[in-house]
Amino acid sequence: MKNNLHALWQLFFGDSARAFGSASVILLVLLAVAPAKNYFSEWRHYQKQYLHLIRGRADAVTLERHFQGGIQQIWIPEQQVTDRCTTCHLGMKEASLADVNSVAFREHPVIPHKLTEFGCTTCHRGQGAATTVEEAHSATEQWEQPLLPAKYIEAGCGQCHLENQTGTPFLNQGRQLIVSYGCTHCHTIKQGDGIYLTPDDDPPSLKHIADKTTREWVYAWIKDPQAYAGTATMPNYHLNDDDARDVSAFILAQSTPLEPPLQPLKADTKAPADPAAGTSLYGQSFCASCHAMQNAAGMMVGGNVGPELTGIGTKAKPEWLQDWVGNPSHYDPGTMMPHYRFDAQQVVTLTGFLESKTEPDFIANVHLDPATPEQIEHGKRLVVENGCASCHDINGIKKPENFAPELSRIGSKPLNQLIFVEGVEHSLPGYVAGKVRNPRAFGPSLKMPQFKFTPQQIDAVTTALLALTDRAQSQPPTMRIASVQQTRYQPAGNAGQLMRDLRCFTCHMINGHGGDMAPDLTWEGTAVQREWLTQFLKNPETLRPALIRRMPKFNLTDAEINTLADYMMTVYQTPEFDRDSLPVSQFNPAQVEQGRQLFYSKFACQSCHIADYKNDKGYIGPALAATGKRFNAAWVYHWLKDPQALRPGTIEPNQHMTDDDARSLTAFLMSLKSGGAQEATKK
Amino acid sequence: MANTLDRLADQVRENRIWRSIFRSGTGESNLHRALTVQQNVFLHLFSVKARKRTLEFRATWYLGALTFGTFLILVITGILLMLYYHPSVPQAYADMKDLQFVVSSGVFLRNLHRWSAHAMVFLVFAHMFKVFYRGAYRPPREFNWVIGVVLLLMTLLLSYTGYLLPWDQLAFWAVTVGSNIASAVPVIGAKMRFLMLGGTAVNANALLRFYVLHCVILPFAAVVLIAIHFWRIRKDGGIYPGESPAEGDAK
Repeated sequence: MKNNLHALWQLFFGDSARAFGSASVILLVLLAVAPAKNYFSEWRHYQKQYLHLIRGRADAVTLERHFQGGIQQIWIPEQQVTDRCTTCHLGMKEASLADVNSVAFREHPVIPHKLTEFGCTTCHRGQGAATTVEEAHSATEQWEQPLLPAKYIEAGCGQCHLENQTGTPFLNQGRQLIVSYGCTHCHTIKQGDGIYLTPDDDPPSLKHIADKTTREWVYAWIKDPQAYAGTATMPNYHLNDDDARDVSAFILAQSTPLEPPLQPLKADTKAPADPAAGTSLYGQSFCASCHAMQNAAGMMVGGNVGPELTGIGTKAKPEWLQDWVGNPSHYDPGTMMPHYRFDAQQVVTLTGFLESKTEPDFIANVHLDPATPEQIEHGKRLVVENGCASCHDINGIKKPENFAPELSRIGSKPLNQLIFVEGVEHSLPGYVAGKVRNPRAFGPSLKMPQFKFTPQQIDAVTTALLALTDRAQSQPPTMRIASVQQTRYQPAGNAGQLMRDLRCFTCHMINGHGGDMAPDLTWEGTAVQREWLTQFLKNPETLRPALIRRMPKFNLTDAEINTLADYMMTVYQTPEFDRDSLPVSQFNPAQVEQGRQLFYSKFACQSCHIADYKNDKGYIGPALAATGKRFNAAWVYHWLKDPQALRPGTIEPNQHMTDDDARSLTAFLMSLKSGGAQEATKK
Repeated sequence: MANTLDRLADQVRENRIWRSIFRSGTGESNLHRALTVQQNVFLHLFSVKARKRTLEFRATWYLGALTFGTFLILVITGILLMLYYHPSVPQAYADMKDLQFVVSSGVFLRNLHRWSAHAMVFLVFAHMFKVFYRGAYRPPREFNWVIGVVLLLMTLLLSYTGYLLPWDQLAFWAVTVGSNIASAVPVIGAKMRFLMLGGTAVNANALLRFYVLHCVILPFAAVVLIAIHFWRIRKDGGIYPGESPAEGDAK
């Protein structure tokens, strides 16, 4: 054996010539490894697989003609995109490969962009330069950003699209949640367009809290807000009993009485004559448009603009309720709630009704001894530490600045700057979702409270946060589709004051300012007739047959109605055309008949609208049976010609009518003068 | 067979073109052999004669030659890498990625450069230990020892400046730490750091500065010093033959 080895050694390394030769051969073999590895690279393997796949298909010739071998790349230097994904993902543009099982070769789902417009990694992340699966898809030491999990993919869209889009429901929802849960009270979020997200959850001021509720209720509420109202957006701070006791002590202690003070309850009218009167007034006033309340069956009914009222009787003191129902601005000048002009009896009725909505269990077990000065002092410290004043106005506490980390670039945060804990996936989406799900899991000393989100909401918020990337911040402004920003429009004069008192802008949008619950009124003066408007303000009716909700009745005086109607008829007019430019007297019966034909046959308007309550069943659009009483002919005509020009985004289709058709149809519609929706309900 | 080869070689050597390049001509005489070495710009750094014993493996373990070999590999691969590399902040890391993913044998090229650099540092140290423990640093070779120490410094500086060029986190922080260490020098520390980085932070200027150091200044200095180092071996009496006269003069 030893001899054999020795002989072998002699054979290859015996003398210097042999040794040199052998060493050279070994070196050559070793050097050959490099080109071999180059040749047998992964992407070549995938290209072979692809060719194999397409050769078996009916349109093999076309597909092969489209195929280009070698490394492919999408190169967009100004966006810093060098994406070689298409080296392996060869079927991205082949519509006929939509049915392929392998994700690698399937056609890319249809999106509004060309694939070469933004590359792949702009939305999907991952390492575009890489030509191996591991490097391109996963996080490696040299590239931290792996592919974005498919469920967060809308974050890619959100980098440029700051507006709501129909294709990105998740992103829209996440952004809405960030705003409506008040994340930006503590966290600063500056979008790519330089606009700071502002919260719209409207947290109440606590300056006069003692007038409104009891310390017991405050205690139970801060222990667990969702125990009082499932829809509450206030997060849970997981305070222990002592801390909650001290915080409630301080909150109550800092409260000062309202100026002027609350009126005592009108004892003689405490019980409403008719127990059903309260329910019916609550319904007639359309409180449920904004407020939710659990009905007898345990179902939540109502909107989410205002707080849930299921247990309002437990929360609010009767004197406060009476004051609030009478005029909410007295307690909270900034409230979104309108000033209903209830008469004294109605105030009593509604107060009594709301007082009866109690959840006694909520504070049944709360027994607090009077607070000591030390407890109040400790409570104050807790209030400062937990940043309560970030959201609420509190006497003697300044709103903290930069209380929580800025999130403007959270979607590009390097992993090495994050601290992970067990159970949280080691990735940026995992971290963000984990923080949203359970912030305190990252350490007991962290201040961020626990928000109550469903798993779906957590994913939505995570999606919206992941859209806040370096790319979103630094790309050229031309790449951005800006969000629709509210203007600061304020109507002037007496009418303006009245409109603010009635909080018209909580529901209506005018000149880009206001809510979206009710129609945009920017050009209402051109659209409607004055008589109809005054009638409507006096006694609002439902305009859409499928809708129960309508504008509440505000008990306006005739003088107030005149002021409003004058202002709206004068100011809210479109500059495009004159509302009187098409007098109804121009129309002849033949045109009306012609219009009727067009309505029922050519344009089949009855599939969405009702012109005649007896026969038509169109429930999509508003009923048109009273068009002649409500609208101006010029408005109807221009609306028919191009609805989107008058109200962008309306679902009314543009039929591209001829002038004659539009005129005849207008003549027909203006001839409809039946009583409107109220007549229909009588039927 | 062997004779045919020899004849062929002789024919080539006596060819006019060959003779115009290598003027020493052929011949077995001492003069001819000496001329072969003397009249070649590369070989004339070395002595025309060497003790056979000093050419054996155990004398030097060929550590100096191996070091020079890695240096040559580094020069060649370095020049090839320069074809793909831009010393600019947005481009440098992307160039690494291109070498990794699309340049044919780019990974091999980078790895060869990197491992040769590691090997060179190791070999330089081994070479110095060997020289030190054999006592070859003593007069008359003390100046060449000093040159060697400077060459060690060159090697380390080449290593350090090359470290920044990939422009990844490792590079960035290594140089940040390194330059902060420099700033700890009393009085002139901050100035030194500024000079090193061409600014107050590791950024585009530092990258360019390190690139020029790594690819021009330090290699040039190293080549000059290596030439002197080799030349001094001849001037100091060839490779150190060892201490014992009995051993040294036996042949």
